[in-house]
Parts: sequence; structure tokens; C-alpha cells
Amino acid sequence: MILAGIALASPTPAAVPGAGIFTSPLILSLSIWVPVAVAIGMNLIPNPRGRYDTLMKQIAFFTNLGIVFILFIAYNQFQTFLPGMQFEEKLPWLPSIGATYHLGVDGPGMTMMVLSGIIGIAAVLASWGVRERVRSYFCLLLLIQAAVNGAIAAHDMFVLVLFWGAVIIPAALLMLGWGGPRREAATWRLVGYWGLGTAALLVATMTAYAASGGSSFDMDVLLKATLTPRVQLAVGAALIVAAATRLPLFPLHGWARDVYSDAPLGVSVVIAGSASRLGAFLLLRALVASNPDAARLLAPFIAVLAAVTIGYAALVALRSVDLRSAAAHLAMVPGAITVFGLAALTPLSIAGAVLSMFTGGLAAALIVATAWTLSDRAQTRSLQLLSGLAPRMPILTWVFVIAALALLGVPLMASFPAETMILFGSFKTQPVGAFAIAAGLVLTAVALAVLVHRVLFGEPNHDAPAVSDASLRETWYLGLLAGALLWVGLFPGGPKLPGTEQPIFDAGLINIMSAGLSDIASPYVPPNPAATQ
Amino acid sequence: MRNYVLVPEALVVAGAVLLVLLGRAPRRSRRWAPLVATVLVAVALAVELWAGATLSTYLGGALVQDRFALFAKAAVLLAAGLAIAVTDWSDESAPAIGMAMILLAAFGVMIVASATDFVGLWAGLELAAAAGVVLASVRRADLGLRLLVAGGVASALVLIGLAFVYATTGSADLSTVRRVAASATDTLPLAIPVFLLLGGLAVRAGLPPFQFARLPVGLGASPLGAGILIGLVAAAALTVAFKISAALLPLPAAFSPYLMVVAAVAMVGGGAAALATRSPRARLAYLAAGQVGWVAAGLATHYRIGLGASLFLLGAFVVAATAGPAVMAGADVGEFALAGMGLLRPARAAGIALVFLSLAGVPPLAGFFGEFAVASALAQSGAFWLLALGLLGAVMSMAAAAGTLRAIYLQSPPDENRRAAGARLPVLTRLSTGGAVALCAVIAGYGVFANPIISLADQGAEALGLR
Repeated sequence: MILAGIALASPTPAAVPGAGIFTSPLILSLSIWVPVAVAIGMNLIPNPRGRYDTLMKQIAFFTNLGIVFILFIAYNQFQTFLPGMQFEEKLPWLPSIGATYHLGVDGPGMTMMVLSGIIGIAAVLASWGVRERVRSYFCLLLLIQAAVNGAIAAHDMFVLVLFWGAVIIPAALLMLGWGGPRREAATWRLVGYWGLGTAALLVATMTAYAASGGSSFDMDVLLKATLTPRVQLAVGAALIVAAATRLPLFPLHGWARDVYSDAPLGVSVVIAGSASRLGAFLLLRALVASNPDAARLLAPFIAVLAAVTIGYAALVALRSVDLRSAAAHLAMVPGAITVFGLAALTPLSIAGAVLSMFTGGLAAALIVATAWTLSDRAQTRSLQLLSGLAPRMPILTWVFVIAALALLGVPLMASFPAETMILFGSFKTQPVGAFAIAAGLVLTAVALAVLVHRVLFGEPNHDAPAVSDASLRETWYLGLLAGALLWVGLFPGGPKLPGTEQPIFDAGLINIMSAGLSDIASPYVPPNPAATQ
Repeated sequence: MRNYVLVPEALVVAGAVLLVLLGRAPRRSRRWAPLVATVLVAVALAVELWAGATLSTYLGGALVQDRFALFAKAAVLLAAGLAIAVTDWSDESAPAIGMAMILLAAFGVMIVASATDFVGLWAGLELAAAAGVVLASVRRADLGLRLLVAGGVASALVLIGLAFVYATTGSADLSTVRRVAASATDTLPLAIPVFLLLGGLAVRAGLPPFQFARLPVGLGASPLGAGILIGLVAAAALTVAFKISAALLPLPAAFSPYLMVVAAVAMVGGGAAALATRSPRARLAYLAAGQVGWVAAGLATHYRIGLGASLFLLGAFVVAATAGPAVMAGADVGEFALAGMGLLRPARAAGIALVFLSLAGVPPLAGFFGEFAVASALAQSGAFWLLALGLLGAVMSMAAAAGTLRAIYLQSPPDENRRAAGARLPVLTRLSTGGAVALCAVIAGYGVFANPIISLADQGAEALGLR
């Protein structure tokens, strides 16, 4: 009941101190175009023989800090009691085909923007060790972040397709240029799967566009048009393919192992943390919120995909002999849980899924980053060599355990309320799926327990290469991800002044994400028996 | 204002003649020729944009100035100007002839864009193609001969097709053909010549599977020659296809199925071939062929919105495909020639990268906006199978473009021995750097300013008599 109250109350907390000090009608555009402008500017700065490499890193870092500042303003100004889009920007772009430059965020969008901001900072810090072609690396990283922000803020399908596709080339170049030994295979897999997903999204968009009269790509028009059940089904199926390639979900997960294992760390963090969450966000925005009939019809199929993904990922992680590969598969678990929450189609599970997008992004990024850092510090990825590292790696041990707990959704972690809401919300509508997900989580717990026991608390392996603990820089980005998970886990509704309902400075992510959720979930509210009598 | 409408054509022809004459002048006096030619084309473009909005007919109705002509001529002049500016003239065997030929090729497309009858269409197409033959022959006579023979076959097909359409409809005038077609029914005697005509145009445009003749020539020609063949000649063939499609619009069954097949083969074949090849210029040619397939797909919808979208894409295509080989300069020897270009020639490297990405349809560049507009037209016309094939081709093209970008930005420059073997770095001049920056601005800005451009393209489609 308490959880349902959180999800459905449309809370109206008191204004946060400082709200209204600074507003900008271009707040979303700034979060997209500032990184692009800085990337172009960085390219124009002469950098003979890498003399200004450190400056390039600093520019990228402070740009991200600036974006976080912009997002903090947006977060601070966000009206939690308004159901519709906020910070809207609308300009005609291609009027002859009905495409507009339309941006806007509601509660789930704002939550994703916050996630993107945190991941952006973590990615730059995780990339601080890059030494080759530093300028190009950070330019491409900024372009990925801009594209992710654009895809989140897009409120026109044309703009969404544009930014959704724009992530691919910078990510591929980062893989090719700075990836590990199997970077070629990883890159082409990424391009292939994400390209397929972009094509599927375009097919879905065009099908809906044609069926709705071909007048507009604006989500307000396109996604709210009355479509025949057949068209809704076709659009929904294409959207599932697009989302499954991005998240990823079984069987379209082929890129995940290679990319998370062989991408440079900063890129893995961005992909696992924010870029891949776009898949779930797409399903929420374009299927659950817009095509209730198709969503109801396809929900069992999505639930099966989610359950199979979790079971498969846990089993592969259990059998893996490579730490990064195991982490790559475990990073698929949060996305599958999120999608299951969407498939359950109850207001509580949808609310849980929105929170899970945020927590899942952080947890996936944390597990991938921890495994990457640990294997880097231990000079090997082989689970046959890694053993009993806890005494020599206290910081990484703590972070690894936090990552494992976050994946499983234990109390105090932000993923706890998310997974609880999803499972509680889904038992009525998808009982079999909920049991399957719970069983998958048990398998994941076993995989994590085996992994943690073997790597951290097993018998030390004296034949293994020398190890060292995380450096201060590594502690920063790992701590940022772990800290965000703990912060939201401890204060989901924001910290309050003792004895009052007055928020201190954070309105609380639960309150932010709830804005607009009642609209999204309204088709799935079960009829009230008392009202019908 | 009416008297100024033909000034761009006059400037282009006069410039070409002067440049041919300049070929006999001492070398020192030719130093400023590229800058002068670029300025001349820029002036012609400015006049076209200023005076070209005047609707009128010339030469007894043989030429017409409408929105379609304005759009096509402006795009071609922009492409020609950028190609001249970015060309590494030290790598061209006969710079003056090269500049003259690109101006003549542009003039050919301008004639096609303004033509109101079959004679004008054929003459403009042949002029553009002949300029390509001349420039290919300057470097390698055998390739020029090969192109001449292949071009002769294409020309014969086009002529036979035009002659039979004339025989069937009783007129060579496009508006009359359209009037007759409106009251006629689809018949085999009409479908066969249209099939031949469009086949000839496909050979001219070098579309898969007809690339056997043109592609090797494009690879062996000088950078500017390749730009003419891959960009301007294809644009001339497409402009003829626009006019023929518009004239036969009342009888879509005569041309639409064939265009759909051509488009499907070009989009998928172009993408697959681009992925398979390692040579940058061949890859660019195949990416261009894939984008021509998108233009053909828009034409196949036989609706105004489709033709408008195709025209919008044609503008993006002609700029990238014409200036692309020129900005790559001597990179035709192999991918290693582009290695480290991002470090050594940043402006030129950015130009090459954007050309490849635009031809591959990667967002948010010119090609993406054009292909998206065509995709929406395909969806509206219900051709989802063609859209799906186009997307398949686009994914392959994207992967191919990423491969070239890797060479430019992520590989180390080749050593001096390999450089000496042919991978010569382009000579750095202010004009070429400025041209590369302008090329980047056009490709990146096409989408930002898509609203007025697509409006003009839509008016262009309307000018062809489409509602």
C-alpha cells in the first residue's frame, strides 16, 4: 500500500529552497548542444604532439560538470505536480513531412536526464587514463552524451530517430580506436545490432506515420493517433526489436559481451549506464504510454524475453571464465527487470520500471566498471587466476559488493524500491513471469555469490600477477556510481528537515519520476469494484 | 529580372571556354585559375538564387525557369564550386581542362533541369557525360575509351527509349507527353521504351548492377574526373529521370515498378559493395550508388511528396558525390592513403568524413535528412518492403563509412616509403582549406536549414506539374 501510494499519489511536495532562481527556455537544448559545441571547439584547439591533452580532459570534465549544473537547475525547477511535458521547446523543422524540433521531459524523462548527467561525469573520470589521441576520444565521448540526451528529450519521432542513430558512429569509433584486442569484432557487432535497432525504430515510426495520415512526427500526434490493432501490433513488434537491440534482451544481445569486455572503460560506462537504458525508455514512451492495446497484446511476449534474458545472463555469468565477460552478462539483468516492469502493465510496476531505468543504469555501469577496474588492477581477466583479492583490494572489494547488492536489489540500495515495486506490481498480471523473474534473480544471486566468493574471498592465488587497489581517480568514478545508488536508496523521497516535510535541496527522485506517471499508467488502472457496485 | 535568369548559364559557359583557352597560356598565369573559377561559380550561384525565382520560358519555350530548375541548378553550381575549391590542383594532369570540364558538366545538368522537351534532356545529359569522358581521357586514354563505349550504349538506350515514347505519344514536348499520358492507358509499347530509357539512365548513373563500365573508370580518373562521373553525371541522369517520371505520372505502371527494382538493387547492392571494398574511392562510389537508389525510390512513389523528398536528397547527394573524390585527392591508391589524415590535414579530413557519413545517411547530416524524407514518402505510399531494403542498405553503408573514418582518424599516417608509392598528401592551400570548411558547413548545415531547402524542393516537385 505504501509503495502504491508512492507510485500513484502525484505528490506535491513543498518547493525546494532556491527553486525559481534561474530558468531557461532552452534548458534541454543546452544539455544537447553544449557538448556538441564543445566537441567542435576542442577540435579547433591546436594540440601539437598532445601538449594539451590534460587540458582536453579538463574541458571534457568541466563540460560534463556544466551539463550536470544545467540538469540540476532543470531538476530543481521541475514541477512534480504537473502531469505533462515540461521545459518544452518546439520549432518547425521539416514542415513538408511534419517533423518538428520538439523537446520536452516528463517525470521519467527527467529521471533519465539525471542518470545521463551522472553517467557522463563517471565516464569522463573513468577515461582519465586515456593517453592516445586524447582530443578525439573526448570529442567522441561528448558526442555520445549529446546524442543520448537528445534521444531522452526528443518529443518528436524524427528527432528521436536522429539522436538514436547518432549514438552509433561515435561509439563505433571509440571502440575501434581505443578498444581491447577483440575491438574489431566488438565494433561490427555493435554497429550491426544497433543499426538493426535503428532500422526497426525507423520502420515503427514510418508505419505509425503512414497509418496516422502522414501529417506529423510529433509524439503528441503520432503516438496518440487511432491506429488499427494490426498496425499497433506491427509498430509494437518493431519497437520491441529496437529496444531489445539496445538494452540488450535475449536473443538480440550479441554485442553486449564483446562491447562491455573490450570497449574502453569510459565507453562501457556510457553504454551500460545511459545509452542502453534508451531501449527501456523507448518502450515506455512509444509502446506502454501510447499503444495500450498493443502493449497488452505484446506484454506476455516482452515478459518472456525479460525472464529468458535474466536466466540466460545468470547462467552464462555462472559458467564464464572471464571476469569482464561475466560482468557483461550480469549487466544485462537490470534492463530485463525494467522491461518486465513495463510488461506487467500495472501502475505500480510501471513506476518501478521507471525507477529501475535509473537504478539499473547505475548498477549496470557499476558492475561493468568495477570488473574492468579490478581486472586492470589485477593484470588479468581470467577467473582461474583471480582469487582471494579482498585483503589486497579493500576499496574494490567494497565497490564490487555494493555493485552485486545493487544488481540484486537489496534494501538500502536504490534498486530495492524499484525491484520491489516491479515484483509487487506484476504478481497479479504476470504471475508466471514474476516467478520466473524471481527465479532468475535467485540464479543471478548464485552467480554473483560464486563470483564474489571466488574473486574476493577465495584462497589467494600466489601464481597470479601482482595486484593493487583502486587509485584515487578510480575510487572517484566508482564512488560516484555507488554513492548515487546509495543516496537514492536512502532518500528516495529526498532528505527532509527533521520533523517537517520541508525538502532540504533534493525534491526526491520518487517525486520527480512520478510526474506524468499517472497519465502513462491510466489505461492500466484496474477497475475499482467498489465504484462499479 | 527576367533578363538575368540565363546569366548563370552564360557565366558557366564563358568560364569553361576561357579555361580551355587558358590551358595554352604559360603556367604562371594559370595560378589563380582555381580561385577565379570558384568565384565565378559562386557569382553564378548567387545570381541563380537572386534571379532564378522568376518564372519564365526561353528560346521559344525550349528552356523553362521554374522552381525545379532553380533547385537543381543551385545544387549543381554549389557542388561544382565546392569541388573546384577543394581539388588538389597539383594532382590534376590538366588543371585548366579539369575546371572547364566540371563547368561544362554543370552546364549539362543545368540544361537538363531547364529542358522542356526530349532534345534538351538528351543534349544536357550527353554534355555532362562527354565532360566526364574528356576528363577521364586526360589521365588514361584507355579508360576514356571504355567510358565512351559504355556511354554510347547508355546513350543509345536513352535515345531509343525517347524515340519510342515520342512515337507512342506523338510529341517530344514534356507537357504534351503528360497530357497524352493522362488520356492513355498502360500499354506494352509504352512500357518497353520507358524500360529502355530508364535502363540507359541507370547505366549513366552507374547503378548496381550497371556499374561494370563506369566504376573502373571512376577509379582510374583524376579526383575531379571521378567527381564528375560519380556526382554530376549521375545527377544529370537523375534529373532526366525526374522529368520523365513527372511527364509519365498519369501512367505510373509504366515506370514505377522498374524504378522500385532499380532502387532496391542500388540501395542494398551499394551498401553491400561499400562494405566489401577497401578502396576509399570505390567505397565512396558505392555509397553514392546507394544514395542514388534512395532518390530512385522516392521517384518510384510517383507522388509529389516523394518527388519533393527525392529532389531534396538529390541536393545533398550531388554536393557530397561531386566534391567527395576531389576532397579525397590522391586517396584512390588505397585506404592507407587516408590513414592519419585527421592529424595531417584536419579540414580536409573532416570534409572526407562528412562526405562519407552523409552518403551513408548517418544522422544528423545532409544525407540523413534526405533519406528520412524519402523514407516518409515510401511509408506514405505503402512501399514498406522497399523501405526495409533501404534501411538494410543504410545499415551496411553506415558500417562501411565507419571503416573509412577509422582510417582517417584512428590509424597512424603511413611511412614515407609508402607515401612515395602514391599516397601523396594533398598540397595545402588556402582555397582548398576554405573549400573543405565550406563543404563541411554545407553538409552539416543542410539539415539545420532543411526547412527552406525542402520547401524549395517541394515547390520544385510542384513545378513539374505534380499536385
